[in-house]
Amino acid sequence: MKAQDILSYSFGAIRLRKLRAGLTTLGVVIGIAAIVALLSITQGLQATITRQLQTGFATNTLIVSTGGGFGAGFGPGAETGGAANSGFKLFINATQKISNLNNTNVETSMAIIQRAGWVGNGTTNRTTTIVGVNFTEYASIYSSTFVAESGTNGTIPLNPENETIVVGKRVSDPWKNETLFCNVNGDVEIIWINATTLPPKNETYAGHVAAVLKEIGGFGVFGPSDSSVYVPISQAQSFFGTEECNTIIVKLKNDDDATIDNVSNAIKEAFSDQVSVTSATAVRNILSSVFSIIQLFLTGIAAISLLVAGIGIMNIMIVSLMERTREIGILKALGMKNQTVLLVFLCESVIIGLIGAAIGIASGWVLANVVAVVFRGGGLFMGNQAATTGGMTITPLLTPTVTILALVFGVGVSAVFALYPAWRASKLKPVEALRYE
Amino acid sequence: MSEETRFYGSETSEEVIRTESLTKIFNSHLVAVDHVNFDVKRGEILGFLGPNGAGKTTTIVEAFNLKKTYLLGKVPVNALRGVNLKVESGDFLAILGPSGSGKSTLLNLIGALDKPTEGKMLIEGVDVSTLNDGQLANLRRRIGFVFQFFNLIPRFTARENVELPMAIAGLSGADRRKRAEDLLETVGLKERMNHKPAELSGGEQQRVAIARALANNPKFLLMDEPTGNIDSKTANEIICLIKRLNEDKAVTIMMVTHDQHLAGQSKRIVQMVDGSIIREGVN
Repeated sequence: MKAQDILSYSFGAIRLRKLRAGLTTLGVVIGIAAIVALLSITQGLQATITRQLQTGFATNTLIVSTGGGFGAGFGPGAETGGAANSGFKLFINATQKISNLNNTNVETSMAIIQRAGWVGNGTTNRTTTIVGVNFTEYASIYSSTFVAESGTNGTIPLNPENETIVVGKRVSDPWKNETLFCNVNGDVEIIWINATTLPPKNETYAGHVAAVLKEIGGFGVFGPSDSSVYVPISQAQSFFGTEECNTIIVKLKNDDDATIDNVSNAIKEAFSDQVSVTSATAVRNILSSVFSIIQLFLTGIAAISLLVAGIGIMNIMIVSLMERTREIGILKALGMKNQTVLLVFLCESVIIGLIGAAIGIASGWVLANVVAVVFRGGGLFMGNQAATTGGMTITPLLTPTVTILALVFGVGVSAVFALYPAWRASKLKPVEALRYE
Repeated sequence: MSEETRFYGSETSEEVIRTESLTKIFNSHLVAVDHVNFDVKRGEILGFLGPNGAGKTTTIVEAFNLKKTYLLGKVPVNALRGVNLKVESGDFLAILGPSGSGKSTLLNLIGALDKPTEGKMLIEGVDVSTLNDGQLANLRRRIGFVFQFFNLIPRFTARENVELPMAIAGLSGADRRKRAEDLLETVGLKERMNHKPAELSGGEQQRVAIARALANNPKFLLMDEPTGNIDSKTANEIICLIKRLNEDKAVTIMMVTHDQHLAGQSKRIVQMVDGSIIREGVN
């Protein structure tokens, strides 16, 4: 029997049972749509986050911190090794120890002190991160991002007064509408809750805005951020009353993996494994592997719905097989071979799978976009933060690979679950099939 | 008649039997003896040698000691208890018998729809028991089945139903369509060919089924109570059609029937009771 005839025979059988075939197809549609929607959202999210991370991203830097690697950006506490619990503290003069390594791959290193705080303009206060850095070194490491906005927004002072501050673009212009919170040459109040005394008390001082950074975008996890306030490190030391720094940034001569490994190991050794050294590149890699796991997990959940659809297909094919026992008997009496009967049944299921997958991919894509719009507009988890920081917008991503995989998966599941009914149909004895009522 | 006759014996003594242009024709078409002349003289021993049924025909179906046992629930049923049968090309055989006599089982075995439990079923000299599923399917393509309940595919039109066996055999395109139309014309249904079975009367459906059975130039037609589900007036038309196929187109037909009238139209009758052939006769 010619392929075309098998196809038209199968198609005819499907058309005869439109409602049933439609419902079976719906099962596949839901399964595939769920997979496509979840995959395109997570892939879009991953792309967004990677892009954000890479904004102002210096691949030739290492971040030295106590505790886990992610402590560098997301606060202390990640428990890798015993470093976080050992009471080890990183002091500002630790940069000296790094210089003393005389490692030829190290260009320079600098300490960062940062605290959560507020910045006030006399009427309102806004949350911010107060970051104490050496302006000159910071600007040399993050030469593309730690720069003042061109125009009238000042310059980064090389020998800043204690009161001199540099603010991120979102501190100056939080609403993105030219209604400025503070401006260059203006004075703002820097506020920090000192919890080392009892009761905790607000510490404040008046900062003088020397420059507004150009807009960076992104999270600013590994470098300057739009929503931070930068103060000279000496001022941070006295204001926060500490010699302890959060992180030390080490600038390398290049970003080769060998260089990164070499310096990381040297630093860890120098600090007796009490610190963790994170390369921005490594973090990016970790993040992408985390995303792979999330994707796999979500796809797995979505695949369950496809599995259910597959069982639906199997169920419907077995019912169909029973209804059409006599028809199969006729086909066999007319000389149809067993494998052709098998193909006819498989073909029916594959047609359902193909239609279901095609509709599923389209509706999954629509669903992903709807979800993205909901995220963007009405803050499900980013809240209004998303709108004000201008950070997260998810653009769903549907790669050709995902499209093809979804198609193959939909058709594959349909075919696999139809195998057993089709096989049973092919093995029916003609005499018994013809006698079947 | 090409049957060869030879005479053995001496050259003397007087004739006891003399024939001149001896002819016997059964039922106005099966020529058994055709202008044979011979003498038999006193003291002679006469022998006739030659193949069964003579040279005009070939053996299509041959059954030797055919037995079929199947399980009805848990009870074994001996549907056939040693049937011997031989069918030549051009024959029109009616298998008569009460229900349960094994005639349908015999027909299924002849149609290669089933295999015998014991004995041999030869179709054109090939033992059906030795064939695998694929070879059986190929064999069935050259056997035309006509069923009591028509067994047409309901969603197909008459023409598509006739095309189906050809499609299964791998034919396609315009030839297939043309042949289906020709066959429907043969059975007198050309103008109804785009109707589905539900829109056709029983007689019309059976005619479609006959056209379908003829689609792949079958070696023979097998009919299981072809008029069993049709009113008697329409049945007559079907009988005429079947007879015409046998007489004009030399289609070999084996038919199971209850219908004495229909059986009377055949060339040969086999009477079955309890899984055995109890009588064979020529009409």
